[in-house]
Amino acid sequence: MKRLFHFVPRLKLVLASLAMFGLVREPIEQRMRARLIEANLLLPPPAQTAFEQMSQSAMMGTLGGLRTLVATYLTLEAFDYFSTKSWDALRQTYQIIVDLEPRDESNWVSAIWHLGINATANMEYNDRLPKFERERRFREYAFAGIAFAERGIAQLPDSVAIRLQLAEIYRVKLQDNCATARVYGDTIGRPGALGYVRRFYGYFMARCPGKEREAYDYLISLYREGKQQHLPTLIKEIKNLEVKLSIPDRERIPDPDPDLPRPAPQSQPSTPLPGGIMVP
Amino acid sequence: MNSSPPTEKADSGVQTRHVPLFSLGRVLTITSGTVTQLFRMKVFYFLFAFALVMVAAGNFSLPATPAQELSTIKKVSFGTMDLFAWLFSIVATALLIPRDQEDRTLYTILAKPVRRIEYLLGKLGGVLCVVGLSLLVMGTICAITVGFRESLLVSEEIGAMQADGHFAPDEVNQQIDLIRHQGLRPELALVVLAYFFKAAVVAAVTLLLSTIASSSLFTIIVSILVFLIGNAHALATGFWLQESGNSWVVRIVVKVVKVLIPDFQIFAFSEGIVQGEVVPYWLVGEMGLITVGYLLVFLLLSLLVFVDKEF
Repeated sequence: MKRLFHFVPRLKLVLASLAMFGLVREPIEQRMRARLIEANLLLPPPAQTAFEQMSQSAMMGTLGGLRTLVATYLTLEAFDYFSTKSWDALRQTYQIIVDLEPRDESNWVSAIWHLGINATANMEYNDRLPKFERERRFREYAFAGIAFAERGIAQLPDSVAIRLQLAEIYRVKLQDNCATARVYGDTIGRPGALGYVRRFYGYFMARCPGKEREAYDYLISLYREGKQQHLPTLIKEIKNLEVKLSIPDRERIPDPDPDLPRPAPQSQPSTPLPGGIMVP
Repeated sequence: MNSSPPTEKADSGVQTRHVPLFSLGRVLTITSGTVTQLFRMKVFYFLFAFALVMVAAGNFSLPATPAQELSTIKKVSFGTMDLFAWLFSIVATALLIPRDQEDRTLYTILAKPVRRIEYLLGKLGGVLCVVGLSLLVMGTICAITVGFRESLLVSEEIGAMQADGHFAPDEVNQQIDLIRHQGLRPELALVVLAYFFKAAVVAAVTLLLSTIASSSLFTIIVSILVFLIGNAHALATGFWLQESGNSWVVRIVVKVVKVLIPDFQIFAFSEGIVQGEVVPYWLVGEMGLITVGYLLVFLLLSLLVFVDKEF
């Protein structure tokens, strides 16, 4: 051994051993990385665009193994942009955040909420901008929110929260009943989807031109599921469709129109109390 | 000073006592000495800084749902723990051998029948004990912060939903489960273990650099650089290759870096656990084996440099 040390400088021996170890471990680590990514424990490398958009410090942090911390810091920064209504900076920050943590549903939901709801609301009431510009930016932010939602759904195909936030943009901001119905319909049956999603799908389909018949059949099938589905909005929507589609009287549901005033309950004759006292 | 032969001569010079080739007892003695040495360096003061970060993180107030809020607190707490763990591991390991040399303790130890491998193993063991202990303390602080916040948010949420009045019990439970999923869960102990794996490999790499280097400062700077490159090469390889148009020069550089520098990025598997993913325990076990592999190889390489090093 001493002879070997005499002929080969120590540092070269260390480097050669390191290289040999590296060649052995590299394929093992690559397989391990693939399995960790598959198990959702390790994040895949950030997209090319994320690197291009990151500031120098964020990039150093990310490359230095502080990816989660950098993403969290950027979330706080985005909140600052929200406070100052700097929507373009906020959009850019969220582009990086979702690239850094693509599996964190809350990042996608926040991005959609900020752009699709908050930024558009700000455009509705921002008096400092001319009307045309406000309307243009309103659409721009609404579609930016939708674009985030579509990317988020591609990343997390079963996400209910992203779909509900997307439906909110179509419903509240763009007032696109057909698209709202499509998103609610896409949410039905996904893990964690609440019961109201099925009803909302029918309600918005009923308001989508050309889909009335399909909506009527769908809502009637919900109605026939039982008493628990006989909710005022469902009854009202069915009644509207019955009129619109000229459904024969015998096929119409017997429930009264929930918007009409209910007949006052008939007072029952009071039972006299002992001593002949009557309670009104 | 050369390495001592593993025999001891009695005063008379007649009797010789056989000294075993390897003694776990000697390793443990050096380990406990290293732990004491690090305690005396007051290295645990950094825990105060960590506790301050926790207090700040625990008071985050964002316009987010309780589950999102908990997730943010958890990410900041555990991310900070990770940062402190590897940084502490580098600094503590880099200080040890030069400090022993400075205090002349190294000469006293190596003049005794202590093998160099025992010395290195003892030093590494001491650092790992202290890092493990720090991680346990930091983990406990994190658990208290997250647990406290979780119980607060759960009770607030139940109160709000009950006050609203139109939520069915299963809807309340569903909402509470959503919060609890981001709260304190037993799997979070594996995050601490993951950080320990990473810190152990970092310590082993620093030990190797420490045997080559002549000063602590050099060791600390180079170790941090190696750690950053070890984290970056897996993430940035695709980016560099694409930017350079898949140039063969870049490909060779990337290959050399990948072969020589450990891949610290795979130790970031804790990120998924923090975010509430299901943990396949066998994967954590395999990561443990990879860590042991790194420790063995880097310890042997350190020995290769240190075995007949003259002081």
